[in-house]
Amino acid sequence: MLQDGVATAPRFRIFIIDSGWNSAAHKILQENFGLIRDLQKEDPIYVLSREQSIEFIRHHQERIGREPIIAVHDLAAMSESGTTDFHGFRLHLGLLRTPQQALLALQNFTRFLSTHRQSVDLEAEIRSDLRREGLAGAIEIILHHEAREIGE
Amino acid sequence: MPERWSDYVAILMSALALGYLVYEIDRRRRKLHDVFDVLDADDANITARLEDMVASGELQPYAGATLA
Repeated sequence: MLQDGVATAPRFRIFIIDSGWNSAAHKILQENFGLIRDLQKEDPIYVLSREQSIEFIRHHQERIGREPIIAVHDLAAMSESGTTDFHGFRLHLGLLRTPQQALLALQNFTRFLSTHRQSVDLEAEIRSDLRREGLAGAIEIILHHEAREIGE
Repeated sequence: MPERWSDYVAILMSALALGYLVYEIDRRRRKLHDVFDVLDADDANITARLEDMVASGELQPYAGATLA
């Protein structure tokens, strides 16, 4: 893939697993997928069909009700240590009950993907930026409306 | 030591407010952890399954502009 005339190798493989619950999260993903795809041109997106998603969830029943799930495999981490340690991250969009929460989470996730493609310590940045760990994260949860909204 | 009952009440209310703040931060952070999480050794099976689907051709990079 070329960006500004320079080849950019994919950093991530993005998987979307959605068995089709009639939920706010499902609708928000459907409505915004085109934009997400346009913003993530550097990395391939794999969308499991409804049947593939259902079959997948049948094998991982603890994830029932958490779909849509967006799983991101970090190809850099996997080439170093396989799957025995940190090798990616995921979003359980189905845990968010309102359209506003789902959209905020999707936007946060997409922004994180775009701004951390060159990260050398992705796990640490996930913990601070997405999961709001640490003292700074606690302050963000209280003061920053996005973290407050998603965490409700 | 506090000299008046009002001082004790103020201390108690402050402790309750602080306790509630800590509880609320923890609750929201746990929600964020449920929503966003890393993939590690516990997810190896799931990751392997998805990678196998790609390797076998069962999954191809999505070319559509919208989800069907």
